[in-house]
Amino acid sequence: MSFYLALGGRGFIASEVVTTSPFSRRRALQLIGLAGGAAVLGPVLAACGSSDGARALAGNAPVSGRFDGVTLKLLVNQPHVTSFRDVLAPAWKAASGGDLDVTAAPYDQLTSKQILDVQSGTGEFDVFDYFYFGLGDLVDAGALTDLTAWIDTNKDKIDVAGFLPSIYDPYTLLGGKRYGLPYDGDVHILFYNAELLDRYKVEPPKTWDEYDAISAKITTDAKGSAYGAIVSGQQVPMILGCSFINRLTGYGGELVDANGKPALTSDAAIAAANHLVAVAPSALPTPLQIGFDQANQAFLSGQGALLDTWTDMALRAEDPTASKIAGRWGAVSLPVGGTNKTPRTALDAGFGLGISTAAKNPDAAAAFVAWATAAAQNLSVSSTAGAGIDPIRGAVLGADGYAKVVTKAIGPIREGLGGRPLVWPKEAGAPKLLQDLVDQLALAIAGSQTVEQSLGNAQSSWEKSLT
Amino acid sequence: MNPTRRHYWAVRVALAVIAIAALIPVGYLVSLSLRPPDDVLNSRLWPTEWTLTNFTKVFDTIALGTMLRNSWVIAVGAALLAVVIATPAAYFTARRYRGERLLTALLASYCAPPIVAIIPLFFLLRYAGLTNNLLGLVVVNGIANVPVAVWLLDGFVRRIPVEIEEAAVIDGLSVVGAFRKAVLPLLWPGVVAALLVVFFLSYNDFLFAVYLAVTKESQTLTVGLSLFQGDRNVQFGQQAAAGLLGIAPVYVLALAAQRYLVGGLATGATK
Amino acid sequence: MSRRVPLWLALPAVAGLLLFLVYPTGYLIALAITHSSLAHRLRSFSGVENFSSALSSAAFVPSLARSTVFAVLATVATTSLGLTLAVLLRARGTKFGVVGALLLLPLVTAPVLIGVAWKLLLAPVGGGFAQAFSAIGLGGFNPLGSGVGAFLVILLIHVWQWTPFAVLISFAALGVVRPELLESARIDGAGTWRTFTTVVWPAIAPTQWAVAVLELVIGYKVFDLIVVITAGGPGFATTLSPYAIYQTGLRGSFDMGTAAAQTLIFAAVVGAVATIVTATRARALKAEGS
Repeated sequence: MSFYLALGGRGFIASEVVTTSPFSRRRALQLIGLAGGAAVLGPVLAACGSSDGARALAGNAPVSGRFDGVTLKLLVNQPHVTSFRDVLAPAWKAASGGDLDVTAAPYDQLTSKQILDVQSGTGEFDVFDYFYFGLGDLVDAGALTDLTAWIDTNKDKIDVAGFLPSIYDPYTLLGGKRYGLPYDGDVHILFYNAELLDRYKVEPPKTWDEYDAISAKITTDAKGSAYGAIVSGQQVPMILGCSFINRLTGYGGELVDANGKPALTSDAAIAAANHLVAVAPSALPTPLQIGFDQANQAFLSGQGALLDTWTDMALRAEDPTASKIAGRWGAVSLPVGGTNKTPRTALDAGFGLGISTAAKNPDAAAAFVAWATAAAQNLSVSSTAGAGIDPIRGAVLGADGYAKVVTKAIGPIREGLGGRPLVWPKEAGAPKLLQDLVDQLALAIAGSQTVEQSLGNAQSSWEKSLT
Repeated sequence: MNPTRRHYWAVRVALAVIAIAALIPVGYLVSLSLRPPDDVLNSRLWPTEWTLTNFTKVFDTIALGTMLRNSWVIAVGAALLAVVIATPAAYFTARRYRGERLLTALLASYCAPPIVAIIPLFFLLRYAGLTNNLLGLVVVNGIANVPVAVWLLDGFVRRIPVEIEEAAVIDGLSVVGAFRKAVLPLLWPGVVAALLVVFFLSYNDFLFAVYLAVTKESQTLTVGLSLFQGDRNVQFGQQAAAGLLGIAPVYVLALAAQRYLVGGLATGATK
Repeated sequence: MSRRVPLWLALPAVAGLLLFLVYPTGYLIALAITHSSLAHRLRSFSGVENFSSALSSAAFVPSLARSTVFAVLATVATTSLGLTLAVLLRARGTKFGVVGALLLLPLVTAPVLIGVAWKLLLAPVGGGFAQAFSAIGLGGFNPLGSGVGAFLVILLIHVWQWTPFAVLISFAALGVVRPELLESARIDGAGTWRTFTTVVWPAIAPTQWAVAVLELVIGYKVFDLIVVITAGGPGFATTLSPYAIYQTGLRGSFDMGTAAAQTLIFAAVVGAVATIVTATRARALKAEGS
């Protein structure tokens, strides 16, 4: 406020009398009054705006039914649009008579838009395709309906047992309650350019040490025509976070230990961060500025030999209009390290379907959520090339339809989703924790800090927040 | 070559060079839009494979038609709204005793990034029933850009000699009448400049559009372009195509309107 | 004369101000002095806690310095380049013309696209400029890969985008210089530079200052470019204040209270610098008797 007074009170022209002039003093007071009134008014408006917390869905809400003429409004992640609009919408219409109105948001705006939609009282949407990673913030904001009773009542009809154990709890469970059903089981695997590996006579790496060595070898031998590793290090949780966590999980590490305490200074974490720092010089220039749009594009253009990314890269790599390496790539599980010998992946994204607490059609929404996550639908979206959905049920993971779509990546995907992948923290405020971590990691990669310092700083900041 | 001809050519060459340099990124966008996805990172400014399919496929990927329409409606509306409010206000700030205070206040309101203001604005719009609504964005963009318009027009008003209005007042007009009849005609270049600037600012606005117009029906072009960024495998070609389809009409507008920037005091003004 | 300008001319602008300055500022202050998140606003009074956490955050205070350096450099570059180009265009004739309109393209293109275009142009492997760079011996040139380089690239793109704005306004302003005055200066034997300083500059000074202040504020508010191209990095090199505020309020922990405090501090800094410029402007205009 004071800066405003300073600006308003001091005249432009040097010769003007300043704040002691009665006119400007009166004007200043008027404005303070207005601002103060607005400050009081603000909370009133806000109170009118906030919704009254999470509601729970009744146990007897439907899991199926006819909803002729009902239009459900969905807010979904941009890459999922094809699955909802082109695959599910016509099938839903046939099954229930209802329509789907699909609005997309880029992944980095998704959670905040969902929160704003409910919290502002707008309540535009019925169903949220939510990031499991943002579950805590969404529940804290009262945006997702508590589905525990409904799921428990309808365990068989929903076929809860058929959900992959590696993702069911992580995607839906918070504080003992369930807020959604899984929709897309996202993991990372390691893709490699078979031609480059052949040319420089190396095998796909099994450990992160091998990975670093291969990267150095190929970059040196290729003399600028190609690079060994493509490392995405842009300072955003979904980018640098994934790169770090893929290494951490290979070492068998965790971000948070079994007691809920941060484990960022563990041997596994230090090793993972050291790997990032070690490979940066031989990776595609320069990791800290590369996001996955550039990374994916570079891999598909044949500029790099190794890329750890989402499983839908498999489809793009085989598509001759999008890829220069069709037929000349392969995929393996993420490398391991240290004492851990079992390949392990991480839930580097992952989406569930939840019902907005401001939904106008909660019954239709419930039926839709149950239907869309059922085996038949999960099979059809994950078997549709370009829909970008991964299985969330064991039956679908093992199905041939899915295997046909992802071709060579099927092995590592099954190994990853069938195992015990690393789960990202998801309680309220988790995104901030991840941001703090990647900020520190970036400083280590840039060379401004040692790995130990960076992880130590991140550990302290996590301890402060998690207590 | 005599000095004037040398001068003539020097100016033109310099302008041409600058224009080309300024256009390379836009030209690159054109070249991106004409490439299939696998040709994007080909180390060159021009495509090595050509295709026109991006321009048709983009309409399937996003609701481009709706978004373009929304962007235009909002930008035109906001420009008109801002200039209608700003023109009398600029006359006020330029001529009125101590009118600069308003100017400072307006500039002060423009200083803060509107990121946190999203929340109170959201409630304001909800109160008026204007969330996810084109009119809501017209109001937000229009009023948010009033400071820019006033600031611009203030400069233009100030360089019109006050004798012109004084002459008009002596001739029997009221101050407002003098403003309308004597000043406004001379202000046209400034008004056109202000309209154009607010139009461009609103057309390219990102933050307000993203959070205040979330639904498919109300999304604008900038939101649509950011949707491409949200994909894992970004379709750069289609994104460029969408952007170019967005720029082209605006560019035509700029070309058409720039004729009106020709202005200045007509020789008849000092009668 | 000036006292007879009626108050109601300013009324719509003042109403807009109330709506868009007073109410949001009041709300902003309320957010800043309470514990507030995106989901739960105005929960409980927190006094200066948000301000102290804003000032002690590792990212925010340096971002203020960065933003100031950026904005000042951007202003100097855009206004001087803008005026130069406008003069060149005017030397060509009174019409903006095709060349002038071409120069408007950067201003007219959506920031997301500008970011994408430049990011791809500068990609060290496969980027649009990659082959050209190799040809002139700068193979592997990667300005976005270093902190200083990324800052300068963002500055360059911003100047590239906003100089046309200065050109537009300067061109319109130059159109106001009275031909008779130019003619009489020529008859008096004044050279180009003297004509410029004695005839042209006094006529265009108010608009030039107007452009400078606007470019300053716009330079402070750079946001879209950073989100698309660098995400604030590498490290924190391009974390300018609006991006830092965005990270606090709409990402991370959605901490609107601290973001509000940051916004107020930032606005104060911008306001202070803008006041310095406008005070200089006022002094200069007064000295020239306009």
